[in-house]
Amino acid sequence: MNSRRPDDAPILQIEDLSVSFSTATGQVKAAENVCFKLYKGETLALVGETGCGKSVVASSIMQLLPNNAHIQGRAIYAGRDLLSLSEKEMSRIRGSEIAIVFQNPSLALNPIMRVSEQIAEMLQVRKGYPAAQSLELAGEMLHRLGLQGDDKMRMYPFQFSGGMNQRVMIAASMILSPRIIIADEPSKGLDGALAAEVMAEMARIKNQVGASLLLITHDLNLARNISDRMAVMYCGEIMEIGESEEIFSLPRHPYTAALLRCLPERGFQPIPGPSPSMIKPPAGCKFHPRCPNISEVCRRKPKMTRVEGRGTAPAGSESEIREVKCWRY
Amino acid sequence: MIPDATLCASPEIMPEAAECPDENKRQCCKREYSRTERISMSLCSAREVLRMQKMSLVGLLLFLSFVLMAVFSEELAPFDPWMRFEPYLLPGSEHLLGTNDMGNDILSELIYSTRISLFVGFAAALMATLIGTIVGLLAGYYKGMTDEILMGITDIFLMIPQIPLIIVIASFLRPSFWIVALLMGALWWTSTARVVRSRTLQVREMGFVQASRALGFSDLHIIFTDVLPNTCHVIAPKFLLSIASAMIAEASISFLGLGDPTMKSWGTMINFAFTRGGFINGYWWWYLTPGLCITLFVLCVVLMGFAWEEQERTNQRLE
Amino acid sequence: MSLTAKRASRYIIALVIIFTLNFVIPRAMPGDPLTNLLGEDVILTDSSVIELRSEMGLDRPLFEQYLDYWHGILHLDLGYSFHRHSPVAEIIFARMKWTLLLAVPSLLTGGILGTILGALAGWRSANSCQKASTAFFLAIYCTPPYFLCLLALYLFSFKLDIFPLKGFYDTGSAADIALHLFLPVLVMTLFSLSRNYMIMRGSVLQEKSSLYAAFARAKGLYDAEILFRHVFKNALLPIITLLAMDFGFILSGALFVEIVFSMNGMGNLIYDALLSRDYPVLQGSFLIITLMVVSANLLADILYSRLDPRVRWH
Ligand SMILES: Nc1ncnc2c1ncn2[C@@H]1O[C@H](COP(=O)(O)OP(=O)(O)OP(=O)(O)O)[C@@H](O)[C@H]1O
Ligand SMILES: [Mg+2]
Repeated sequence: MNSRRPDDAPILQIEDLSVSFSTATGQVKAAENVCFKLYKGETLALVGETGCGKSVVASSIMQLLPNNAHIQGRAIYAGRDLLSLSEKEMSRIRGSEIAIVFQNPSLALNPIMRVSEQIAEMLQVRKGYPAAQSLELAGEMLHRLGLQGDDKMRMYPFQFSGGMNQRVMIAASMILSPRIIIADEPSKGLDGALAAEVMAEMARIKNQVGASLLLITHDLNLARNISDRMAVMYCGEIMEIGESEEIFSLPRHPYTAALLRCLPERGFQPIPGPSPSMIKPPAGCKFHPRCPNISEVCRRKPKMTRVEGRGTAPAGSESEIREVKCWRY
Repeated sequence: MIPDATLCASPEIMPEAAECPDENKRQCCKREYSRTERISMSLCSAREVLRMQKMSLVGLLLFLSFVLMAVFSEELAPFDPWMRFEPYLLPGSEHLLGTNDMGNDILSELIYSTRISLFVGFAAALMATLIGTIVGLLAGYYKGMTDEILMGITDIFLMIPQIPLIIVIASFLRPSFWIVALLMGALWWTSTARVVRSRTLQVREMGFVQASRALGFSDLHIIFTDVLPNTCHVIAPKFLLSIASAMIAEASISFLGLGDPTMKSWGTMINFAFTRGGFINGYWWWYLTPGLCITLFVLCVVLMGFAWEEQERTNQRLE
Repeated sequence: MSLTAKRASRYIIALVIIFTLNFVIPRAMPGDPLTNLLGEDVILTDSSVIELRSEMGLDRPLFEQYLDYWHGILHLDLGYSFHRHSPVAEIIFARMKWTLLLAVPSLLTGGILGTILGALAGWRSANSCQKASTAFFLAIYCTPPYFLCLLALYLFSFKLDIFPLKGFYDTGSAADIALHLFLPVLVMTLFSLSRNYMIMRGSVLQEKSSLYAAFARAKGLYDAEILFRHVFKNALLPIITLLAMDFGFILSGALFVEIVFSMNGMGNLIYDALLSRDYPVLQGSFLIITLMVVSANLLADILYSRLDPRVRWH
């Protein structure tokens, strides 16, 4: 699974990314000091409960946030900071270098355009392919994702189920062979078997072109199955990051542990206490009001700290890095 | 006449358009947005709203000054508008805008005309709003067959070419502003009815309405005490836009000479200037000033109406 | 009932009701129905009054008169104008082509330019150029069309003396007609443009915050590509019927433009009929205009159902 070699430089490096939205009720701090690296060919899962800012991180990488968003930090891709690129430069990166699968496939597709055309359009606009050839390639891609048949090609999004639209979005995200695919809840709307199939196909195409995958999901088991590494997000901050297997077998952050305990096979225990406000988040460690092992020091901001992993990779290499944002380490 | 277009961003833009004439289309247009999307959309346009409000403030000031002009015509006008001086005087220190063919002072005429023009606009809009509100409330509250029939009638009214119809009817009657106002009121209620209906459809499903129904209050009681107050804020902007439509229509009809010759309105002023030599002789102060007044007044009403509508839509999205 | 049948019945009912209204008006209005049907100032002897009364069927029961009325309509018989001594239908059809000559080009350019400019204004709503253009069209939108004509005439004919004051032609050559038509067509175009502009702008402003527009951006489309490949059609579809409803108003505007420019079309026909109380002509014109407006609505409906796959497939 771990196709990444330890000496690889990261393909995407997020540094200190903070995003806030000005709203009528105040500043919504949707992401704070988010740092992570995405390596070539790897799958990094970004997990966390709903509303913690996962989609916001994804959109800010693509510069797709609305005007009321204030973004700080950097997102280094191919030596350039994506956050400071112009709209024109960004349009050359979107779709062809970095592609995104949106969370709401049925709303994200143009309701009055055939699905095949929506995919083919990318080839026409970005690569200048003729229409017929683009449509053919789009059809092939749909076929690989299990939507075959001429009739499917001619359909409109409203004639498809959510899961089918999801696959159309995935096809669109991969048609230009981007180097990074950001998939926001790609398994939503697909039932178990189909989800596995689609994810497998996605992984296959991803490996074929050597792309990296940033997988955003609620589904911890999916994250465990297909990701190499995992970042756990809580209230706009990354609390823990490390190899997926390790995080599952030995969660370090109390929040990660609590999250894992929510899983049905691990006892189905909900996290006590209410979700924090994003406008006035708790001071210090944002998890401290709900934390089982709270201490005085938790009222101050903890730092991301490296802890020893027991990874399979050679000691000292990047891959075994495990970072936790908790005073206990 | 002022169509249900809006100046601003919103997911439900024109309630009309989002709510297409027939059920089927309506279903297609309807979309569900996730919570985050809803919030993000509303915030996106929040700024636009602020800007709009500045515009509407300008509109409000203008509006108020016109209303003051109508109320205090006697005090403001330098002369009685029927008083006769030498005809066709050019603008000068005595008569700022000169005099017309009858020797009336044009500035005083202009000020007094505000009264009739505004009155017709308000009366027609009031009537249109009243009819539209009742039709919308009934259609939205009872749904089913009532709704079908009332909305069918609305659709038919929407197709009547209104100004030609008013011309035909008014030509049979003695010219009077009352009749013009009445006719316009009877024809311009359709868009109010549609907006009120779609709002009523929402409100009737709300908890407190359901509760009233469970408590056994009569339908009429529920409609007027529970539903109506919750539709007021969509009615108000429609009322403003109806004023605008009515003013334009009144000006057009008076221009054809169907206005009351014993009263002065901006439209009749232009009509007289046009038919009695003011236009051919190039006395711009005679026919351009009332026209500018019409445009300015309609503009400020439309600005306020649009801003208000937008505000309501934002609020509703945040709900 | 199937959807098409329902829609079709709506148009038919609308027509029947409006035509019936036209039958009722002269009979319900104060005054002698005979005068109301013939027009005022028609000088008649006593014997011819009785003769006419029976010829018009006014002495028969209302229901029979009503059937007769429909019989006439179905045979394109809109009555007789005693003022002009000719059948109303003939008069109207002779005048109509001039009105269409004025209205059709301006409606088309206004429609096309209005939607495109409006779409751009909505798309770049923060751009100060677009804001200025919106303010400009909003002002036009708030102006009665005939006043727009007066303004244009004041500017171009009185002040600048570029265009002739009135009429369709002096010499009748094509260039002459074009010169005469320029100002009226310009005003009409601006007028219908401003209305389409405002409607389209509102629609695009809404659509641009939709998720599919964001996804188009995420696919690597750039600015105007997103607008014209995705947003434009989506914004246009829901307002097609709205634009059609506006058609009646724009057509009425054309009538006023003709009056100001003294052009020999329907507008002046109505104006003259109004001055001489020539009721048959007034009513006939009303019927024809209604017919045009209803067909425009029908056309828009058909267009909509062909263009929108969501309706087409249901
Ligand atoms: N445009 C916006 N304006 C204001 N607040 C926003 C905006 N977009 C997102 N937010 C806020 O940012 C926070 C994070 O939202 P985000 O969509 O990233 O959550 P998420 O982790 O993707 O949740 P989910 O799992 O439900 O998709 C939320 O509290 C949301 O309310
Ligand atoms: Mg999300």
